[in-house]
Amino acid sequence: MKQTNGEKTFQLFNYVFLFAAAATMLLPLLQLLAVSLSSPVAADSKRVFLLPVEFTTASWTHILGNEGLWTAFGITVYITVAGTLVSMLFSVLTAYPLAHKEFLLRKPVMLGIVITMIFNAPMIPFFLTVRELGMMNSLWSLILPGAIGTFNMIIIRTFFMGLPKELDDSAKIDGCSDFGILFRIYLPLSKPVLATVSLFYAVGYWNTFQRAVLFIRDPEKWPLQTKLRAYLTSPEELAAVNLVLGDYDFNTTTLKAATILFATIPIILVYPYLQKYFVKGSMLGSLKE
Amino acid sequence: MADTLDQLSKGTTPASVRIPKAKENLYLANMRKHWMLYIMILPGIIYYLVFKYVPLAGSAIAFQDFQIMKGMMSSPWVGLDNFKFIFTYQDFYLVLRNTATIALYHLVFGFPAPIILALLFNEVRLMLAKRVVQSLFYLPHFLSWVVVGGIVFELLASEGAFNMIRGWLGMEPILFMQEQRYFRSIVVISAIWKDVGWGTIIYLAAIAGINPNLYEAAVMDGANRWKQTLHITLPTMFPTILVLFLLNIGNFLELGFDQIYNLLTPMTYSVGDIIETYVYRAGVLQGQYSVTTAIGLFQSVIGFALLWIFNRMARKSEQGLW
Amino acid sequence: MLRQWIAKPAKTAALVSLVAVTVFTGCSSSGKTPEAESGKETESGSVTVKVFKSHMGVGTIPDRNNDHVKYVEEKTGVVYELVTTPPGSEPTEFLNLMIASDDLPDILRPIGGIEQTLIKQGGALPLDDLLPQYAPNVWKNIPQEAWDIVRSASPDGHIYYVPKVFLVPERAPMIRQDWLDKVGLEMPKTIEEYKEVLRAFRDKDPNGNGQPDELPTTGREFGKWMDHLFGMYGVAMWEGVPEWDIYDGQIQYAGVTKNMKAAIAFIRELYEEKLLDNETFLNKGDVWMAKINNNQVGSWYHLPANLRDRVTAMQKTAPDAYVAGMPMPAVEGFEGFVTQKSMGEPEWLIPAAAKDKAEASLKLLDFFYNKENDEFVRWGIEGQQHEVVDGKKVLLPPEDSRPIALGMRNLTTKEDMDNRIKETIPEGMQKMVQDIFAVSTADARRIAGDGMPATVYEGFPDIQSHKLFQEYLTKIVIGEWPLEKFDEFVDKWNKAGGETVTKRVQEWYAKVQK
Repeated sequence: MKQTNGEKTFQLFNYVFLFAAAATMLLPLLQLLAVSLSSPVAADSKRVFLLPVEFTTASWTHILGNEGLWTAFGITVYITVAGTLVSMLFSVLTAYPLAHKEFLLRKPVMLGIVITMIFNAPMIPFFLTVRELGMMNSLWSLILPGAIGTFNMIIIRTFFMGLPKELDDSAKIDGCSDFGILFRIYLPLSKPVLATVSLFYAVGYWNTFQRAVLFIRDPEKWPLQTKLRAYLTSPEELAAVNLVLGDYDFNTTTLKAATILFATIPIILVYPYLQKYFVKGSMLGSLKE
Repeated sequence: MADTLDQLSKGTTPASVRIPKAKENLYLANMRKHWMLYIMILPGIIYYLVFKYVPLAGSAIAFQDFQIMKGMMSSPWVGLDNFKFIFTYQDFYLVLRNTATIALYHLVFGFPAPIILALLFNEVRLMLAKRVVQSLFYLPHFLSWVVVGGIVFELLASEGAFNMIRGWLGMEPILFMQEQRYFRSIVVISAIWKDVGWGTIIYLAAIAGINPNLYEAAVMDGANRWKQTLHITLPTMFPTILVLFLLNIGNFLELGFDQIYNLLTPMTYSVGDIIETYVYRAGVLQGQYSVTTAIGLFQSVIGFALLWIFNRMARKSEQGLW
Repeated sequence: MLRQWIAKPAKTAALVSLVAVTVFTGCSSSGKTPEAESGKETESGSVTVKVFKSHMGVGTIPDRNNDHVKYVEEKTGVVYELVTTPPGSEPTEFLNLMIASDDLPDILRPIGGIEQTLIKQGGALPLDDLLPQYAPNVWKNIPQEAWDIVRSASPDGHIYYVPKVFLVPERAPMIRQDWLDKVGLEMPKTIEEYKEVLRAFRDKDPNGNGQPDELPTTGREFGKWMDHLFGMYGVAMWEGVPEWDIYDGQIQYAGVTKNMKAAIAFIRELYEEKLLDNETFLNKGDVWMAKINNNQVGSWYHLPANLRDRVTAMQKTAPDAYVAGMPMPAVEGFEGFVTQKSMGEPEWLIPAAAKDKAEASLKLLDFFYNKENDEFVRWGIEGQQHEVVDGKKVLLPPEDSRPIALGMRNLTTKEDMDNRIKETIPEGMQKMVQDIFAVSTADARRIAGDGMPATVYEGFPDIQSHKLFQEYLTKIVIGEWPLEKFDEFVDKWNKAGGETVTKRVQEWYAKVQK
């Protein structure tokens, strides 16, 4: 393909702009990394920019050597995987009928659902509802109350609505039921959006914090984010009470940096893996005109 | 099955959908023919009833003097007193104006940003470069506002990057964070920086769904990149854009507490004090559940009204949410 | 992951039914969710008491077989069961949820004004008779005055909670003694001398790095931690928040007094001359701390007990760094002091619903207030709370894998403070910290509003959060508004509910005076 001069200039500008902007987004994480690998004194004095000062791995050994944290890590992985599966299933099942004109209650049900997106239930009744369902202290309380993200479900529905009507018709002629159409035709064709929405759900479950605080009383079942909050919210002014004499190569500042990274890096790594689903044309590749 | 439907039409769906007698046969026939669709949506319906509508009924405490020891059943009803309390709050209009202004900025600048960025990504031809840049752009989404707020304050401090540049240009340093006129720009720009990459994902998914044959045909017709974008890429993204716009508008007055709270200083209260920060003072500090619920209802009603209007407009092009 | 489940609809179908079953079973079991742990007696005849305390930090919850729990049980016949908030949660909200779901512990440390909610709605147990009977040590170790304040905070004059008592001032104005020496000035005695010192700090490069980067004095966002500048003018100030004290013969909000106006005028001058860090109102805690650590700050206000890490950092580049307590510089026509709040904050409350356990709860509490148990309360169990190094006990740092030990005593005397200094400050710094405490103690005065219940603010969140005050303070100091605007503030404050609040406070104070 030939490019005009204008297009070349644009390409150049585009690359420069995107890479410059992307760099600003990497810096904060690099700095956190540097802080987590620096001595407490250097960190508290803000002398750390992008390279560790007075290098030490004490914060990381402290965190990674912590068994309780790994239990919490396991719980988070579990609710992320299980939660994403449950949510995707609920969401596609709900989205499919709502994307079909044949479903006559489509409009009222949609309206009813959208209303719940705008009107939020107050916290106490929400808490009491989940409690009445007997979910206190169960990991289900971290999954079921948010099983359908309305936003995500609507995204899937929008995508389903964009699929050619002829697909349904020809499938029906072949004797497919609606379940068959959904699982054999719609889902394989919707990989980009399913990847997107799974990512949204997975990140949401990964970051589960508020619900755990509400519903899980047993510290053994706390997910990672809850557990790590202990390091992030040390009441600084009360530190005098908790202070202990002794020299350690980490303190709240360096631990904070390390915990933030520890809590985000695994989920960040999911995205590059999902990127292949965003390749242009992957959806209709299988479709013959 | 029929029970559920019955229940649906009676209890939970709004008045506008009550089924006229004459049409009943049509619905029954429809259900018989497409019963699978009804089965499919059942778990979803149950989910919304149990986890959304049941607790939502608790919003009634907005009309009560809710006393936590007594619970909802025995707390006294006070009618619209809580709403009166809000509307007579001396700074209510200031707070509302600030909220609406910032919300509007978010809509005008923040909403198109990921769309534009997604289009820019789409122009990157080198696969590797594209993947790297995309992955980097979505990193800030994972930082909390406490962290990002700290970064913003440090960048704009007297020794920060911005004032260093001003220094090289021979200009006096400005303490941006304590000047009202910069506050809203800072809010909008930092929000874009943090979430624009994340926001593109959904549009990239939409772009990924475009049939490559369309582009090939366009090239044959002599369309340049710009024309391709305008006539192929954007129209394909349009349904997604519209849905996101509608979903956004429904939560128009909800800006998110974390960002503003972490950027606000007393010097910028007059432009940055928003509904959420007020709710924090009234709710968290004073435990006034009834008042905060009333404020929430107010926000939702406004949001719903806006959504209703825009959805009507969208329906003209068969793209409405309902 | 994704592809897999798309490819196997059978599996997903199985999952549907599983989920559906879970939902339904979840529903059917509603109403009968017995969490019947409390109420039962243990086999040894001991009573189990659920204790709620927030902000426990890092560590595991001790179980029934924990040595600390067992030791306490042996001594009191009470097994404590610690209930705490998950890290990062809002403790007030957490407590409210406990109340809403009838799931209150047997004894709790109220937070965020929850004690007043309970008292008002009849959910708190009056302790007037129970305390002397079951918790004699609590009763006699807490000063009578504190009990009076607690009585004044309830509408019916009963004692509904055990107060926190802190008999030494925790905060102090501090100054870099080594800087004073370097610029050749004495400890300032008057405000003029203080200003001279600040000017010398600004101009004479006391940190010796050749750059004019010194910040003679500084504070934090919202005007926090600059109380020394207000204190000189006799303004009752607590971490940047104006308190209630006697002005013109009656109790008033310090924020609207002429003392405050004079203090703001002074601070405004400091700001203009760059004697006050011009970024004061933008300093987040970590930035403020870094400035002190980096030998940029000459004079500040904070907790001397936290000084260890500051000085360690300073000494990296300034080996001579030495911090001294600064006596409040005298201002003509004003009586300066260090604000001290000592008593009245609620510490322990027993819900009315836990009446049956009140005796056990109080016995447990009494254990911690009994001087005979001091050693145990302070050090806990060897290997869990402390270790012995060279024959000396050393507290262990909190760690996620170690059980937390319950502490219930919140009564700090001079003696406690001295002990704490010995435990947490390296020997080389102990004298420095003790000296600072001595100086601030000499200047400290308890304010009239000490122990005032937060209910006086009810209905006026903006008065309670001091939002209005902070806005005027900061804008006047940075020069955006003229000093005259202060009068407008007083007016606005009164109209926004300050008048009503003042009336309530005065009524409360009259009750205390009786």
